[in-house]
Amino acid sequence: MKNFFADLSMNKKLGLFAFVLGFLALFAGSPYHGSEATVNAKELALIVEKEVDHVSVQTLADWIIQGKSDFRLIDLRSEKDFAEYHVPFAENILLSGLDQSNLQHNEKIILYSDGGIHSAQAWMLLEAKGFKGVYILRGGLEEWKDQILFPRIPENPTPAQVVEFAKTKEVSKFFGGTPQSGATLEAATPKLSMPKLDAPAGAQSKAPPAKKKKEGC
Amino acid sequence: MSTQVEKHPLPYWNPYVAGIGLGLVLLASFVVMGRGLGASGAFSSLVTVGVQAVAPNHVANNEFYAEYIGDGTKSPLKDWLVFEVLGVFVGGFISGSLAHRVTKVVEKGPNISTRGRLLMAFAGGGLMGIGAKLARGCTSGQALTGGALFNVGSWAFMMMVFGGAYAMAYFVRRQWQ
Amino acid sequence: MIAPFFKYGLFGEDISLVVAFITGIGFGFFLERAGFNSAKKLAAQFYFTDLTVFKVMFTAIITAMVGLYYLSVIGFLDLSLVYLTPTFLLPQVVGGLILGFGFVIGGYCPGTSCVAVSTGRIDGMVYLGGIIFGILVFGEVFPLVSNFYVSTSMGQITLPQITGLPYGLLVFLVVLMALGGFVGAEWIEKKMASKKAGASL
Repeated sequence: MKNFFADLSMNKKLGLFAFVLGFLALFAGSPYHGSEATVNAKELALIVEKEVDHVSVQTLADWIIQGKSDFRLIDLRSEKDFAEYHVPFAENILLSGLDQSNLQHNEKIILYSDGGIHSAQAWMLLEAKGFKGVYILRGGLEEWKDQILFPRIPENPTPAQVVEFAKTKEVSKFFGGTPQSGATLEAATPKLSMPKLDAPAGAQSKAPPAKKKKEGC
Repeated sequence: MSTQVEKHPLPYWNPYVAGIGLGLVLLASFVVMGRGLGASGAFSSLVTVGVQAVAPNHVANNEFYAEYIGDGTKSPLKDWLVFEVLGVFVGGFISGSLAHRVTKVVEKGPNISTRGRLLMAFAGGGLMGIGAKLARGCTSGQALTGGALFNVGSWAFMMMVFGGAYAMAYFVRRQWQ
Repeated sequence: MIAPFFKYGLFGEDISLVVAFITGIGFGFFLERAGFNSAKKLAAQFYFTDLTVFKVMFTAIITAMVGLYYLSVIGFLDLSLVYLTPTFLLPQVVGGLILGFGFVIGGYCPGTSCVAVSTGRIDGMVYLGGIIFGILVFGEVFPLVSNFYVSTSMGQITLPQITGLPYGLLVFLVVLMALGGFVGAEWIEKKMASKKAGASL
């Protein structure tokens, strides 16, 4: 038997090898693993503890004002909520649609929902699928409304606070929000209308999110 | 009297071994880049750059060229295929040099003139350019890459290439035999 | 799954161009090793005297195909992230036919013509010029053919998907077909060689 293999020419050896591999393919199963995901619990826990995956609303606001386009902003809420108001340049993808979406593994992705629960859950899903550049907007849309759109200054502000609030007011106006002063604190949220959805004046339009990378021949 | 040692060209490799080498390069491309090989696309980029230099407005209004211009932020030559094809030239040269197969020559059969052969080469190239664009690729991109991926269009393409070549072979046999 | 490395963010676009160059070197190297810098050798395929084209092409295809299959099955490679060119059936069929004509008339294909040029073949250089001319012609008449160009679109579709057969089964069948083809090719070449020897006696 050993002689049989030794006597085969190189070509026949290769052919036999190919046949064996081909034959085994009948039993090896499907090459598509689709929606399966693996979780390295320890690694994920460490990332969560270090909190390096958070982005504050102020940082996001600055990035949008500066016209940065190296990230994708994902709004996880319903289509109806998205249509009513969304952060400029956000894309609407529901949690259930994340798996089939066109998000690329090598993109920077920022997730937000109303608070932080859905965005945290979506973060976990994407991390399990091997995405490495996923961030959560700390505080979600609630924080965005509170800090960016409708910022408030306390009743008796210190001079430092006044100076800081001046900048905050500018940011708020940029996004079409309404800065509050202490006096109107009580009559706040219900009366305030959400800003219209036109792109903020002066913001550079981002390059289309799904930049078609030419991969043909 | 000067003695010149003539370096004889070495014989080509066992085709199956060369094929395995080629297949491994293709596999590496899948694993590293998530894409296969190609060739004709690089020439399309080249043509686009050339036409753009001469007639930029024409290029902007033509759907075909526009695809290679992209959003205008970078040169069409800064493209994966262009760099790959440059590598093909180099790789071919390396292999040829090692085997003493680099010679200035016109490949042809005994029954056709050099001029005739060169005319046919140009005509063949022209047809190839048109066919490759229609099919979105050539033998490297469609047949090899698409073949390994079970791409339906690629397999159909591959069969037509062999069919077409065999059908035409009779009419140009004088060029090769 | 950690592959394809580029799509998992291991490196950026600039490095990918270096990868492209290195990959090209490997590609060109093996094309020349196989003898594809010679139009005579390439054309001989279509006169049945030298079937290297078939042998090399299909060996490469099944090597990559089998490798792809097993790397995906074990979960190393995410097959859904490997780019599949969309199928446009009719243009690809017609394009393939025209390409076949060009192949045997010109004696090269785009990849092999590069290898021919870098090993000194003048007809390869002329052929390359022809390709560029052909692409130019295509670009210029594109508005006239653009409807045909995008007809019969089937999207990204594979043989397993269209036949409904398991992927592994198709791998086996293609390997079998290729091996059978190789046996046949060896037989044909021997026949043609002895016929030639017999004729010259």
